Amino acid sequence: MFGYVLPPLGELPQEEAERFRRAYCGLCHTLGRRYGPAARFILNYDFTFLAILLSEGGPRAVDSRRCFASPLKKREFLEPDSAMELAADESVILAYWQLRDGVADHDWLHGLKYRSLSAVLEPAYRKAAAARHGFDRRTREQLALLGALELEKCPSMDRAADAFAALLGAAAEELEDPVRRRVLGQLLYHLGRWVYLVDAADDLKKDAESGNYNPVALRFGLEDGAWTAESRHEFAQTLDHSIHMCATAFELWDFGEWQPLLERTLYTGLFHVGKAVLDGTFRRRRHAWDERKKDKD
Amino acid sequence: MNDPYQILGVSENASDEEIKKAYRELARKYHPDNYHDNPLADLAQEKMKEINAAYEQITKERSGGGHQQAGTGGAYGYGGTSYRQYGGQSTSSVLQQVRVAISSGDLTRAEALLANYSDHNAEWNFLRGAVCYRRGWMDEAKRYYQTACQMDPGNAEYRQALDFMENGSQTAYRPGGSPFGTEMCGGNPCLALCCLYTLCNGGGYWLCC
Repeated sequence: MFGYVLPPLGELPQEEAERFRRAYCGLCHTLGRRYGPAARFILNYDFTFLAILLSEGGPRAVDSRRCFASPLKKREFLEPDSAMELAADESVILAYWQLRDGVADHDWLHGLKYRSLSAVLEPAYRKAAAARHGFDRRTREQLALLGALELEKCPSMDRAADAFAALLGAAAEELEDPVRRRVLGQLLYHLGRWVYLVDAADDLKKDAESGNYNPVALRFGLEDGAWTAESRHEFAQTLDHSIHMCATAFELWDFGEWQPLLERTLYTGLFHVGKAVLDGTFRRRRHAWDERKKDKD
Repeated sequence: MNDPYQILGVSENASDEEIKKAYRELARKYHPDNYHDNPLADLAQEKMKEINAAYEQITKERSGGGHQQAGTGGAYGYGGTSYRQYGGQSTSSVLQQVRVAISSGDLTRAEALLANYSDHNAEWNFLRGAVCYRRGWMDEAKRYYQTACQMDPGNAEYRQALDFMENGSQTAYRPGGSPFGTEMCGGNPCLALCCLYTLCNGGGYWLCC
């Protein structure tokens, strides 16, 4: 479900890309400090994006350090603050339940990696869940709902997407300012809806082969996982409506230094990723890797 | 009141032309058309008022404390009413209550009223669509609007709602005025994506299946 919200780093000025990297490294250090080095493996761009959205936007303390990924050159990173800690806690909760979901979805042998990784993350999860009790409960509820919808093969893609979108929207509920909570609530809800739908679209072919539940295939009656021109157009429209809702929410809050990066991600990055998914070019990279692995086996 | 130049994001030395350009960009961004049926429309409306007031104040000051210029400066005379939605006349008092509930953001009440209303006529479908839209269920909203239009093809309110679902996002605001949309995104998407993977170890979620 993760890995689709990507800032168009290649198109951004160096300074903005560097700013994003400082947040990425900052979240990694926050995870390390709060939960120990093993928790760092959950780090990804989506969680960084969440940390940026939750941040206060003001000037931030920057430190620099060597790390596992950059053992020789010191790299600058944002010092943890309360918003970064919130993002780290919520990331741990989301990653943990994503892994448990993987355990439930696979048989004993194929679930092995999910089981072992979730066992590694278990202590971190316990701590995060204790600190963010409300968000943990909400995550469990929404994922249970999603699981039930998958079981009954719910034909409404809006209903299925809603279960995931509401879960991401809940990440804003811890915020104090009521206007900010509304703005971020809508932004995250529609970002979640977009992620869920794009993920389902990306899995069309795979699910058509395996017979797994796919809300997009059911909605448009795509039996072999291939788009018709009409359904593709209609699906792109619904994605665009969600991006529009994200963008209109984004314009109603001052995100300070993150303004240019967020603007480019919402108004450009999401379109690029959505189009690549619709064209079937997005997964190619991962597919090629899977194929190589299969050949070796 | 806050500094009007700051609100428009221009320096005090900016030319009249630059100020007008900044104003127009902001006005396009917070225009009621861009917040059509948006749950956050009230916030956009506040922004719009602030921008209009700032622009008016600057043009007033620049015309030498001018008394006659005020009001004419805003090339866009957006009133407060255009953000208001679902103001149409209902065929029944229950559906009228649904409209009030949607306008005030009480979607649970609107849904309950609709669920107990047995005559699934064109307006019922339209209002069901409106509730879906407010909840963010864009696909179902569109389908209810379609049904409403099929049942009452002559109704302008339903037609407008469906039009917005089909073409609305194409006219949505995007910085610099470039077209908005997944299918509109030009250039070489592969190139843009290749450039994404430049941080540390790619940042990919390698567990994700």
